[in-house]
Amino acid sequence: MKAKKAIALLFGAVVAVLLLAGCSGSNDEKTSSSGSDSGDTKTVKFMHLWPEGSSKLHHQIVSDIISDFEEENQDIKIEPEVLSNEQYKDKLKVLSASNELPDVGMTWAAGFLEPYVNGNKFAALDDVIEKDLFVSGTVESYAIDNKTYGLPLELNIATVFYNKEIFNENGLEVPETYEEMQNVIQTLSDNGVAPIALGNKDRWTGSLWYMYFADRIGGSDVLTNAINRTGSFEDPSLVKAAEEVQGLVDMNAFVKGFNGLSDQEAKSMFMNKQAAMYLIATWDLPNYTTNEDVPQEFRDSVGYFNFPTVEGKGDMNSFVGGPGVGLFVSEDSEVKEEAKAFAAYFAKQWGEKSVTEAGVIPATKVDAGALDLPELYVDVLSDLNSASNITLFADVQLSPDVAQVHLNAIQALFGGEVTPEGFAKEHEDALTKEE
Amino acid sequence: MMSNKWIITLYLLPAFLLIAVLIFIPLILSGYYGLMNWDGIGIMQFIGFENYIQALQDMKFWSSALHSFLLAAFSTLSLIVYLAVALILASKIKGTNLLRKIYLIPMLLSSVAIAQLWIKVYNPTNGMLNSILMAIGIENPPEWLADPSIVLFAIFIPIIWQYAGFYILIYYAALKNIPDTVIEAAKIDGATPLQIALKIKLPLIMNVFKVTIVLAVVGSLKYFDLIYVMTGGGPNGASEVMASYMYKLAFSSNDFGYGSAIGFLLLIITLIVTVIIRKVTATKEEIEY
Amino acid sequence: MGRIGYVFLYLCLAAVAVFQVFPIFWLILFSLKDNYEIFAGNPFALPEAVKWENYLSVFQGGIGTYFWNSIWTTIVSTMLTVLIASMATFVITRMRWKLSKLVLSLFLIGLMIPMHSALIPLFKMFMEAGLIDNPISIIITYTAYNLPITMMILLGFYSTIPREIEEAAIVDGSSIHRLFFRIILPISAPVLSTTVIINMIYNWNEFVFVNTFISSDKYKTLTVGMQNFIGQYMTDWGAIGATLVISFLPILIAFLFFSDRIVEGITSSAVKG
Repeated sequence: MKAKKAIALLFGAVVAVLLLAGCSGSNDEKTSSSGSDSGDTKTVKFMHLWPEGSSKLHHQIVSDIISDFEEENQDIKIEPEVLSNEQYKDKLKVLSASNELPDVGMTWAAGFLEPYVNGNKFAALDDVIEKDLFVSGTVESYAIDNKTYGLPLELNIATVFYNKEIFNENGLEVPETYEEMQNVIQTLSDNGVAPIALGNKDRWTGSLWYMYFADRIGGSDVLTNAINRTGSFEDPSLVKAAEEVQGLVDMNAFVKGFNGLSDQEAKSMFMNKQAAMYLIATWDLPNYTTNEDVPQEFRDSVGYFNFPTVEGKGDMNSFVGGPGVGLFVSEDSEVKEEAKAFAAYFAKQWGEKSVTEAGVIPATKVDAGALDLPELYVDVLSDLNSASNITLFADVQLSPDVAQVHLNAIQALFGGEVTPEGFAKEHEDALTKEE
Repeated sequence: MMSNKWIITLYLLPAFLLIAVLIFIPLILSGYYGLMNWDGIGIMQFIGFENYIQALQDMKFWSSALHSFLLAAFSTLSLIVYLAVALILASKIKGTNLLRKIYLIPMLLSSVAIAQLWIKVYNPTNGMLNSILMAIGIENPPEWLADPSIVLFAIFIPIIWQYAGFYILIYYAALKNIPDTVIEAAKIDGATPLQIALKIKLPLIMNVFKVTIVLAVVGSLKYFDLIYVMTGGGPNGASEVMASYMYKLAFSSNDFGYGSAIGFLLLIITLIVTVIIRKVTATKEEIEY
Repeated sequence: MGRIGYVFLYLCLAAVAVFQVFPIFWLILFSLKDNYEIFAGNPFALPEAVKWENYLSVFQGGIGTYFWNSIWTTIVSTMLTVLIASMATFVITRMRWKLSKLVLSLFLIGLMIPMHSALIPLFKMFMEAGLIDNPISIIITYTAYNLPITMMILLGFYSTIPREIEEAAIVDGSSIHRLFFRIILPISAPVLSTTVIINMIYNWNEFVFVNTFISSDKYKTLTVGMQNFIGQYMTDWGAIGATLVISFLPILIAFLFFSDRIVEGITSSAVKG
């Protein structure tokens, strides 16, 4: 008897669902078009990647900006959708393939942006950009053929964070030259302390090391030139940079098994005092300053230094870094003007609020003196002001296709599976193929 | 009473519609995208079989295919172990009811949880495995997920473990499906438990076993989850499988046309392998396949 | 087998059992730690300071809706899959007709499609049909994608049902519907429970489809809710652990329930059949 009842129930459910599918299918078509334009109020769809759970402060600022904007523009409604980083990238791909991009969304600079611009998916934003607002160089990373397609929000530079306590215990000082740094590494290694935390499963982490060597040995534009094809990855200084990377690996400078560790795991080792140094970009600053979840005593023990000079060469004020995410407006948006207005408003408000409220360094100019910021921020901001150059992260500069080649090659280089020459050649092959 | 033809149509229609619309159309479309030069963003450009030809010459594709086949081989071999476990669990010895439930619990966990667990098992310095190895005096235990020569096998273990419950459950249900009378009859004839297992139970669930071989092989050839989370296919492709390679091409390298071609080839390869398995395992009296 | 043999067997079985329970124990510990302990500490160490906050942040993240959505989409998709697969498998294995082999092969090809190949085509189709951001898209996708595997499992069993059973039923004058619903389905209760368990687990833990087809919070499921804790540069693993524990409980209860049906079904219904 039980079985009979269950089956009747099952059958009922099937019928109900199928009916429901039939009805709501037709209903929805009517409502979905109202998403963009119905009557007096216009709806702007906005997709971002700062979920409340993991990025509470970011999320709060976004909500505040949205409600402020809606307050000032009664006829515009913002409809946000939040995804996590990886899911965001995947969904953006699906949406663009289906011609369904949100009106406003987040993009990365240069190589990530280019296919969308070439495919005519992103709108030029030159009419709403207030260039003076932004740190010079940031807007340019979102420009193709003199038109700008993104409003930069974040700006990061990579520096070496280190644990002052461990340095003191081992009688070490902040290195200014690579030779000094090698001594630091050797001493730490001899004393049984893992010198550098590196999670190279994520690959861009290892790329930072290679990029800094390239910058110090070959100057600030050698890598950029190799990428834009006025130079070559087979340039002796770039091969030398790859050699230095392998030299570090041979010194056991990095934590054990780094090629299988994620950045998060490496970070945790640094934060648990299991490694003395950690090369990461300034988005990590809250962990070493304001994040209450991290013990005060640890936060106080963290300092940072700029990547040292190598063999007397290189400018310590030249950085690897660049803008992180920026805002795009969809070219096919039915509410393009409203979307542009919102994006411009957002970028400006974000610039004003993000440092103080979320500890993010925005791509807009910040008057550090006027704000009450932790010391580490003040230092980073002043470094940014005196920066002679910021080389954009290689995996962002390169087209997505070649970026994957670069990232795999980085893992192989660190793993000793490829020679510095072979490493250079892989890049050359991929870039030549692309031309 | 309706005629058979109508009944057949009526009973098949829901399954047929769902599979045709939601699986076959996408499948055909992905084969079609495979003929395109398309980054998934801009304009599609028809290039004929170029992507497929490129794939056949692509060493990375073949090495990922090899890895997938290795996984399929290991998964298939492990079926024997699962079958043995299921035989024990389905036997009349005490406590099997509780044991069965306990044994199947890990299969309830999502891939996210399993990946996190095994990342912690394999961590080179703090991991469970290396802690044990170092405690028993091995000074330089392997860097499980960083060493290109062992990463593939290191990652097979959690995958095979993840699916253990699935197969044990199927075998268990199949064994429980055998009428008690058959086994009682054998017992009266004086057969030992081992003889009953091998001579009576095994032949009776042979059909189910064949099905699981196909499931294990197909599931392995298109496997993605743990590999993507735990190693991302790395280091430098050492643990890349066909599905992760396809995903990376389509979604990270913006080579959607080529990625689709790889996805379609994956399907063709799986299909060929399945046909071969069926031919090899087929027996005369079978009418199903 | 001798006494020693049994002792040895039980020792082995117990060892495996401990090994299999460990993950649950680990998961609970995981859910009570913060990132630094999770990544750098001993995985089996008790948390230094128990982080109940992880659970708090999960509940603040609006888990209630996600939870309910997960439950009902799982139930509906699972029931649909099992019923539709049973119907199809029944006519394929128990009735003689010309194209049965071909149809079966076609169905089983569905097993082989890699999910990521289907994502963009499916999205486009649902867009056309107006089913994006509608739970129907999720339910029919889950149902369709689990049909082939469910049918595969059913096949092995259906082919073992003795022909006499249906012949007897037909002689009694039962219609085919009656035969299917009153005889075949009840006697296949053990395998149906098996497929229910398997479908449940798949649907419960799936997130790529939901993530792609659903954008409103009101339709999102637990697995997508979990993504809420994955950040651009930082991920709150403790909260993810807490979500994993919370989402593990319903599936565990359902599993224990259906797991007993696997054994029960046989003894009760086979007699009736």
